[in-house]
Amino acid sequence: MSTLELGEVVKHYSSGAEIVRAVDGVSLSIGSGEFVALFGPSGAGKTTLLLLAAALIAPDRGSVLFDDRDVGALSERESARYRLEDVGFIFQSFHLMSSMSALDNTTIKLAGGGATVREARRMAWPWLERVGLGERAEHKPGEMSMGERQRVAIARALVNEPRLLLADEPTGNLDSQRTGEILALLRDVCHERQIPGLLVTHDPSAMAFVDRAYTLRDGRLSDELSAGSPASPS
Amino acid sequence: MRRSRTPRVLGLRFTMLLHICGRRLRLHTGQELLAGSGIAVGVALVFGVLVANTSLTGSAGELMHQVVGSARLQLAGRSPAGFDERIASTVAQLPGVQASAPVLRENITVVGRRGARPVQLVGLGVDIVGLGSLGSRNFGQFGFRVADGLILSQSVAEATGVEPGDLVSVLTAGVARRVRVGAVLTGAEFGALASSSVAIALLPVAQKLTGLAGRATVVLVKPNKGATPLVARELRSLAAGRLDVLPADNELRLLDEAVKPNDQATSLFAALSIMVGFLLALCAMLLTVPERRRFIADLRMQGYDWRQALIILGCEAVALGVAASFAGVMLGYALSRLLFHHVPAYLASVFPIGSQQVVSLPIVLLAIACGMAATLLASLPMVLDLNPRRARDAAYRAAGNGSESISPRTILMLGAVGVALVAITTMLVLLWPTLTLAGGVILALATLCLIPVVFAGVARGLSRASEQLRGSGLILATRELSAISTRSVALAGIAALAVYGSVAVGGAQRDVLRGLDQAIVQEWSAAQIWVTPDANIFDANSITIDSRTLSAIARAPGVASVLAHQGGFLDVGSHRLWIRATPASGNAMILSSQLLRGDYVRATNLLRRGGWATVSSGYAEEHGLKVGGSFSLPTPSGSVRFGVAAITTNIGWPSGTITINTHDYTHFWRAGDPTTLAVSLKPGVSTAAGKHSVYAALGYNPALRVQSAH
Repeated sequence: MSTLELGEVVKHYSSGAEIVRAVDGVSLSIGSGEFVALFGPSGAGKTTLLLLAAALIAPDRGSVLFDDRDVGALSERESARYRLEDVGFIFQSFHLMSSMSALDNTTIKLAGGGATVREARRMAWPWLERVGLGERAEHKPGEMSMGERQRVAIARALVNEPRLLLADEPTGNLDSQRTGEILALLRDVCHERQIPGLLVTHDPSAMAFVDRAYTLRDGRLSDELSAGSPASPS
Repeated sequence: MRRSRTPRVLGLRFTMLLHICGRRLRLHTGQELLAGSGIAVGVALVFGVLVANTSLTGSAGELMHQVVGSARLQLAGRSPAGFDERIASTVAQLPGVQASAPVLRENITVVGRRGARPVQLVGLGVDIVGLGSLGSRNFGQFGFRVADGLILSQSVAEATGVEPGDLVSVLTAGVARRVRVGAVLTGAEFGALASSSVAIALLPVAQKLTGLAGRATVVLVKPNKGATPLVARELRSLAAGRLDVLPADNELRLLDEAVKPNDQATSLFAALSIMVGFLLALCAMLLTVPERRRFIADLRMQGYDWRQALIILGCEAVALGVAASFAGVMLGYALSRLLFHHVPAYLASVFPIGSQQVVSLPIVLLAIACGMAATLLASLPMVLDLNPRRARDAAYRAAGNGSESISPRTILMLGAVGVALVAITTMLVLLWPTLTLAGGVILALATLCLIPVVFAGVARGLSRASEQLRGSGLILATRELSAISTRSVALAGIAALAVYGSVAVGGAQRDVLRGLDQAIVQEWSAAQIWVTPDANIFDANSITIDSRTLSAIARAPGVASVLAHQGGFLDVGSHRLWIRATPASGNAMILSSQLLRGDYVRATNLLRRGGWATVSSGYAEEHGLKVGGSFSLPTPSGSVRFGVAAITTNIGWPSGTITINTHDYTHFWRAGDPTTLAVSLKPGVSTAAGKHSVYAALGYNPALRVQSAH
């Protein structure tokens, strides 16, 4: 049973003399088994919010609690361990290693956790099959389409059985059928494992797969969207 | 999950670490090969030079230990003519002596079907068996059945085209004698001996061949256990100040001293090789920097801590470094045999140096360590991303063209360091000239530091020029140049070091080796024609020449005068000094160009008067000798005091040279025979005609060479 709680989180970036308010006092709580979506225009601060939740950056103010632990205050080594063991992060730009096959990319988190090559491959293989890449497992990212790379990134995020799922536009390069399959997969993982999941997307069809949804605009969170609310940015 | 027994390194399974590194190295095969080649070339240069260098002393050392066996002391003569061999019998009777053997060592020339080769003849008494040296260990199998013949090393036999049973000519002291070759030492069994310029014979045979009947140059002594001090005392008493009591392998110390100039030049070359190898590796590795940085960023975003990322980087560097270093060692070994396999002429004529390559573990480890250090240093740009202050995805934010541009602040800093290094080196070398070679290495570093400043200056100049020439392609070139990158600097560094290396190293080598030759040529120019027993001017062997032949040369057509020079080598401390005796009746006892301190006319007059000597600067400095002062020289007649008439160059012999007049030499060395004849020609007589005339007067003696300086 895990929860993610963001309390009055503020994150500013300075661009020359200008201060950009990427996240400006956001409070959000995601309980165990909940799959929550964040909609919003580009530059609204959605990715920054995910990076805060993954402890890749620290908030300027406020708190980011995972299981009552302030992940914004973790040391370098603790935050690395947190990402390695607790977080499954699907990056918008994939962050796949060009030197490695899809299978090796999927095993990279398991490797960091101490798995042998054989163990890691045995665990990664089913996830590649689940995202439809069983036959492309030995191909390198450079030999795959954008959609295929995205699915490798998804398999990699799920393979270590994370306790928090963070997904940044995980279906941006997929067709509608594959989009539905992937979103259903992410939702099912959250529900089955009773872990919190936070999805950032532009895709209005995602509303059908999430338990709750919000819009983030200028770093501020809107009220919860209902099924009939406009989900996509205007 | 079944628990694996594979060991972990910072949480990563060792097998997984190898798997990741293997995958990555395979991806950039071309670039990794390029990087590996750079490292390998650097390692090869370092290894080749070090092996060639240590082989000089290593092979001589091996040979020396084969000859002296278990002997710990030696009683050594102070002239090439040695001493009465009967002293050996007295030595054998001394208290505390377990075994002893007389040895005669002389330079000879062996002439076979294919050609002539100067070698050192080692005449061994049968008592050598008691020392367990080569006489008993290796020759035991054929039990000295070659008692009447000569035993040649494989290298000498091959060079002269000789086989066992053949007759060869032995030229020594101006006389040619025929002798049968009893055996040729081949194979690994004889080690350095087989590849050395050495001939072995029983003592009586050697004495007969050299015309030194009943003489020996050394008595090797093996004391009883714990009796070395006692035996040394007894030997000193026996020597009575006319012979030297030395460690049995003393010659190695003399060689170490003599080889120093060559060592220094090659050390500079090795240091520059390391730098070039590092820059080559850096250049190649910079090609892969952007990808490597992104890889590290990806790992850290996935949850690897900086230590795990570092261990993966380190593993890659080590794999590349080890593979490249081993390849470099192999290549270096080939280089040491093919390119650097050169025994300086000035050493080969005086020390028995073999052609055997001596590879020791410390040298292999040193070369590999250099390769590893270069690889790890070249991996540093990626390590900078592990700084906690840098964003984990810094590699993605940087403009990743792989150039890794250098900031203006760094350029200025490097420039300041470069200028400071030049200034410091200049001061150091001015104050302590002996640090010249170390200064050469520092200047190479300074060159590297100054390159970015030069780049910036050129870029600024071109930028101004491009403003004047609108529409020209110069502006593009200027922009490229302005973005000064590590790779450009590394490439420029290689070019700069290549030029610097060829100038500095070449210069140093020339100064040391060809410079010595030049000094010798200068010495040769003191007369128009020289008569010597071989090609070597500082020959230690005297010429057996009768007064009738000498008169014949003096009367020969075109000859104005003949002067007999004498000399030989004298071991003093760690120096094998060349004692050069010139006749007082000659016009030039020393050349003015050889003089460093003192007055030329006064020095010449003092030398003529006798009891005075000129001393080469290195020996003078080491012993605190000044012009007008005096010093003791051990001679076969005992210790003799000479005044210092002047300080000279080393006259081509790096260990040091002392010049006296022939009268003093004859008196104190008890030697009347000349070692060389200096012939002056009448005006208008060509050198070729003079040489022909002298050669005829010598009766076309094949054991003597008639040579000119040019």
